[in-house]
Amino acid sequence: MSPAAVTVDRLEKTLGKNRVLRGISFEADSGEIFGLLGPNGAGKTTTLRIICTLLAPDAGSVAVLGFDTRKAPEEIRLRVGVVTAEIGVYARLSARENIAYFAELSGVLDGELNRRVDAVIDRLDMGSFANQRAESLSSGQKQKVAIARAIVHDPEILMFDEPTSNLDVLASREIRDFMVESRERGKCVIFSTHVLHDAERLCDRVTILHQGTVVASGTTADVRGSHRDLEDAFLELVE
Amino acid sequence: MKALGIVFRKELREILRDRRTLIAIGLAALATPTVLIVISQVTAKTATQTYTVGYSGDIPVGLDTLLSATALKLERVPDPAAAAKKQVDLGVVFQPTQIDEYYDPSRQSAQIADTRLQTVLGQYDAAKAAAALREKGIDPALLSPIPLKVHPLSSPVKAAGNAFLSFFLPYILITMVFTGGLSAALDATAGEREKKTLEALLLTPSPRSRILLGKILAVTTISLVSAVAAIGSMLLTLSQLPLLGTRVTLSPLAAAVMVWLAILLAASFSSLTLALGTLAKNFRQGQAFSTPLYFITIFPASIILFIPNFNPNLAYYLIPILNAVLVLRDAIVQNSIAWPALGVTTASLLATALICWFATLRLFTREALLIRS
Repeated sequence: MSPAAVTVDRLEKTLGKNRVLRGISFEADSGEIFGLLGPNGAGKTTTLRIICTLLAPDAGSVAVLGFDTRKAPEEIRLRVGVVTAEIGVYARLSARENIAYFAELSGVLDGELNRRVDAVIDRLDMGSFANQRAESLSSGQKQKVAIARAIVHDPEILMFDEPTSNLDVLASREIRDFMVESRERGKCVIFSTHVLHDAERLCDRVTILHQGTVVASGTTADVRGSHRDLEDAFLELVE
Repeated sequence: MKALGIVFRKELREILRDRRTLIAIGLAALATPTVLIVISQVTAKTATQTYTVGYSGDIPVGLDTLLSATALKLERVPDPAAAAKKQVDLGVVFQPTQIDEYYDPSRQSAQIADTRLQTVLGQYDAAKAAAALREKGIDPALLSPIPLKVHPLSSPVKAAGNAFLSFFLPYILITMVFTGGLSAALDATAGEREKKTLEALLLTPSPRSRILLGKILAVTTISLVSAVAAIGSMLLTLSQLPLLGTRVTLSPLAAAVMVWLAILLAASFSSLTLALGTLAKNFRQGQAFSTPLYFITIFPASIILFIPNFNPNLAYYLIPILNAVLVLRDAIVQNSIAWPALGVTTASLLATALICWFATLRLFTREALLIRS
């Protein structure tokens, strides 16, 4: 059996006076959508930020494709793509220029650059607005730019942190379809959300966090158990 | 170092598409010539302006002609002291044995009229005394037993022009280097945080030190462009416009020193403003942080105005900005370079840039950078 794409082991983190993570552990594999669930403030974003090396763990460890976040942060950033709810883009650059900038910073070589950028624009159906300045794009189009810049270097692990929270129904659906497509391509997709219905539809396995601890972990069906849906299961776990 | 070039190109592209920055540079290039044209016209007007002297009593013979030739218009008034308060520029009472003068020192026109009157009266007195001596067969040269013959070592007009440049040029240089890159620096730091692009940028595998260097280089470039635009337009105007009775030009040596100092100052200010921008939560807070800094930076240029003969020892050249002002002043006024002073200045400004860069890097790698956003 191949090692997990992401291994989180007894992870602890305090931000200011707030003990955000209290020794959480889980694993996420390639070729699956792994749900990191929980209410706002449960520690989901902090966990993702530690996995992608933006924050350092206080205790415990995180390994990404065998690389330790403390020892090889740049190796990990080369292999991870992150999409967040914050769809900040450079307003005075076109969609294409935004994507190319991140591709170059992520080590895509000059000879490959245009091909990669074109490929990702095609894949996300962005051709109609690729040359428009980002300031004139809709929220859904900006979210596509944010996804494009996160995947243009073809990372093996994709992390989505509340990606649909600012989007309308159509744009949200496109994101969900994209996550499914990525799983089919063999990527490890980590989906962090507090919308449990979304997770139930998409995730193969889930871990539910509450107040910095893991309250449930397993396949979506296992965690749901005999409850009507994940939301009911979650409510019983935290009450 | 590839990331440095990538960030530099992107930042420059964004800056050049930012209408605010382009307008600021354009206005800076236009503002200096406009100010100089106004100064030139005011100076010319002041020199040729006729001032009114309200008088009573009998004017000594010949003095009225002298006063008119000096653009002092005589006007008989009943009470010269009262008239000098508002109605005329000077009040004079001619008495047989003395002349009483009344003027209000708080009025600039009164000060100028007073100076002219003193000069005319001095010449009139000397002429009268010489005539009286001649009448008695005495050589008027007796009045000046040791005559003074002045031999200026350089053109006094040129010296006045250099004195003007030595204050004005450092002031414009510092102001434009600081303000020219400020908007770009804040946009590249606080702006990233405000636009929510910071996290994505820090997620790239490029080393943060290179990302920062790219930003510093872009801000330095735009600061220099801004300073060159303002100073270029200023020098062009000065070369065409007679100011202080001459067309003021910058010597090649002073120009070279100015360019070198502009590069050093731009690198220091870029690092400093990027550090401030990194501390700020948003663009507006960054601007609030920068305002006191601006006043601190222009203070050294003012020293030259208030203490024109300020000639400090080498240790003073360790003080950033003040050192640049002093070196540039010396290069303009003396048309020479004091190499030890330039060396200390260069080391000081480079150290300032390095310290600020290091501080910014520390801020850029702190977790608080993300958590605060």
